[in-house]
Amino acid sequence: MNILALETTGRYGSAAVINDEGMVWCADSVNEMNHLTDIISISDKAISLAGITKKDLTHVAASVGPGSFTGIRIGVTTARTLGQALGIPCIGVSSLEAMAYRVLEDASRNNADIVVPIINARRHQTYAGSWNVIFAMDAGILSLTELHEEKQYMIEELLGQLKETGSVIYFTGDGIDAYESIIRETLPQGSYILAGEDLRYQHAGAVAERALKYARAGRTVAYDDLMPEYMRLAEAEMRLKEGTLSDKIRRTIK
Amino acid sequence: MKHDKHLTLGIETSCDETAVSVVADGREVLSNIISSQISIHTEFGGVVPEIASRRHLENINDVIDAALSEADVTLEDIDLIGVTYGPGLVGALLIGVAAAKSLAYACDIPLIGVNHMHGHIAANYLEHPDLEPPFMALVVSGGHTNIVNVPDYNRCEKIGGTRDDAAGEAFDKVARVIGLGYPGGPKVDKAAREGNRDAIDFKRVYLEPGSYDFSFSGLKTQALNYLNTEKQAGREINVNDVAASFQEAVVEVIADKAVNAALEFGQKRIVLAGGVASNTRLRELISEKAAAHGIDVLRPSPILCTDNGAMIASAAYYAYRAGERSGYDLDAVPGLEF
Repeated sequence: MNILALETTGRYGSAAVINDEGMVWCADSVNEMNHLTDIISISDKAISLAGITKKDLTHVAASVGPGSFTGIRIGVTTARTLGQALGIPCIGVSSLEAMAYRVLEDASRNNADIVVPIINARRHQTYAGSWNVIFAMDAGILSLTELHEEKQYMIEELLGQLKETGSVIYFTGDGIDAYESIIRETLPQGSYILAGEDLRYQHAGAVAERALKYARAGRTVAYDDLMPEYMRLAEAEMRLKEGTLSDKIRRTIK
Repeated sequence: MKHDKHLTLGIETSCDETAVSVVADGREVLSNIISSQISIHTEFGGVVPEIASRRHLENINDVIDAALSEADVTLEDIDLIGVTYGPGLVGALLIGVAAAKSLAYACDIPLIGVNHMHGHIAANYLEHPDLEPPFMALVVSGGHTNIVNVPDYNRCEKIGGTRDDAAGEAFDKVARVIGLGYPGGPKVDKAAREGNRDAIDFKRVYLEPGSYDFSFSGLKTQALNYLNTEKQAGREINVNDVAASFQEAVVEVIADKAVNAALEFGQKRIVLAGGVASNTRLRELISEKAAAHGIDVLRPSPILCTDNGAMIASAAYYAYRAGERSGYDLDAVPGLEF
C-alpha cells in the first residue's frame, strides 16, 4: 500500500506518502495559501521522497474539511482527479479528526482527558469536535473516541460544554490563535493545555496516518464519490432557506 | 493520438458551466459536454460564486469521463490538456485548473493554461474549418465587450473594451429591472422580437471620436427612469418595447464600432465570439453594416458561443503548436487581461 495524502484546508498546504509499515514522507508548501500553485509539486516531492513513482500509488486521500472552502476544493478536486487518472480509489479524512490524532501523543504526555481541535470560522464561530483520550493499558495503545460531534460551534458554547466535563482539555488548531483570550477567561487555569505551534495546524502526515487506518478498514470511495465537508451552507443557500434572500433578488425568481 | 489525430482535452469552469471537450487537430469537435448550472442559479437571480464552485467540484470528474467516452477515447489517447485559467470566478476557475494539472501530472500529458477570452475567439476555428487569422474579433459576453485584432493564432490585441458594464451585464441588469429575470441575454433577445425597437429613445454612447471603447452603465439608469416616469403617468409598460429599444441601443453601438475597427485595420472579416454573439439582432445588424463595406461576418453556432471546453481545446492546441507550455504551478487568475 502507498497512499498519497493531501492537506490543504489550513493556511499551509502539505502532501504526504505513507506505506504499509506506516512510514511517512512529507512535503510542505513554503508560502501560505499557495495551495493551487504548489499542490502538484509537493505531491511529487512526497512521492519521490518515498522512493516510489506515481504509478505505485494505491490510494489518494484528502483532508475534506472543515477549513478554508477554497483549500478544501483544491485538495478534494486534486485527489479526485488523481484517483480518476491513476485508476485508484480515494479516501476522505476529516481535517478535525486528523488534527486530533496529530496531537494525541502530546495530549497523553500532558495527562489531558479530552482533545479538542478548533478551526477558526470567524466572528466567534468555530469548526470543532472533541475526543476522549483512551489509553489501553494492556496493549499500550493510545486512541480517541468521539465526545462532542464535529460541527460548527460558537466558541462560548463549545467552551461551556467542555467546562461541564471537569476534565483536562488539550486544544489544538488555529482557533487557538483567534480565541486564546476567551479560552483563558472561560476555563480555570490548569484545566487546559494549548498545542504548541509545531503541532497546532493541519498537516498531511496526520491525514496519511488516518488514511492508512481507513484503507485497512476498507473505507475507500470511488473518485467521484469523494465529497468535501464544508460544514456550512453557502450564504445564499442559508438565506434562501431562512427566507431572508434580498427582495431584489427574490422578485426575479418568479 | 488516435487514428493519427492530435487530441486535446479542453476544460472550462470559469463561471457556471462545467464543460469538457475532446478536439482533434485543434479543429474537429469529438465531444463537447456542458453541464450547465443555470437552473440552480435562477433560484437566486444570478450566479452565486460559492454555489458555482461547489457544483463544479461535484461535476468535474463525471464531465471529464463523459467527454472521453463520447469521443470514444481514453486518457492515454490524449496528447494535450488545455484549461481556462482566467478571467472568471476564482473559486470556479480553480476547480478546472486543479483537475487539469492532476490529469497532466498523472498521465504525463503537456498542459496549457488558456485565456477564456482567447478561447471564445478560437470557437470560430471549430465552426469554420478554413478560417485562419488575420481578422477582427468582437467578443461580447456576460463579463466582456471587446474589439480584438487577431493578426495570428497566438496574438490577440485588444483595441477596445468596456469602461464600465459589459454588454451582457447591461442585458442582465435591464432584464431584472423590467422583470424578465435571469439570464438576461436570451430573455431580452426573445422579448425584443415582439417589440418595437424605435419605441423608446435609449441613448447611444459612442464616447470620444475614434474610440473603440464602450459604456453601457447609463442604460440601466435610463431604463429605470423610463419605467418610473411611465408608472407615475399611469401608463402601462410594454416590456417587449423596452427590451427591443434597449437592445437596439446596445447592438447598434457595438456593430458600428466593430465595423469601423475592421475598416481601420484593413481586416476583411469580423469574427463574433462570446455568449452575446448569439443575440439575433446583433448578428443581423452587424452583418448588414459589414456587408455595406464588403466585410464578411463569421460566427460560431450558439452551442460554441456559450462557455465550452472545445474552444479552450482549440486555443490550447494552437498555443502548443507555437511552443507554449504551462507548468504544474499554473494558478487561477480571476482578473486575467486579454
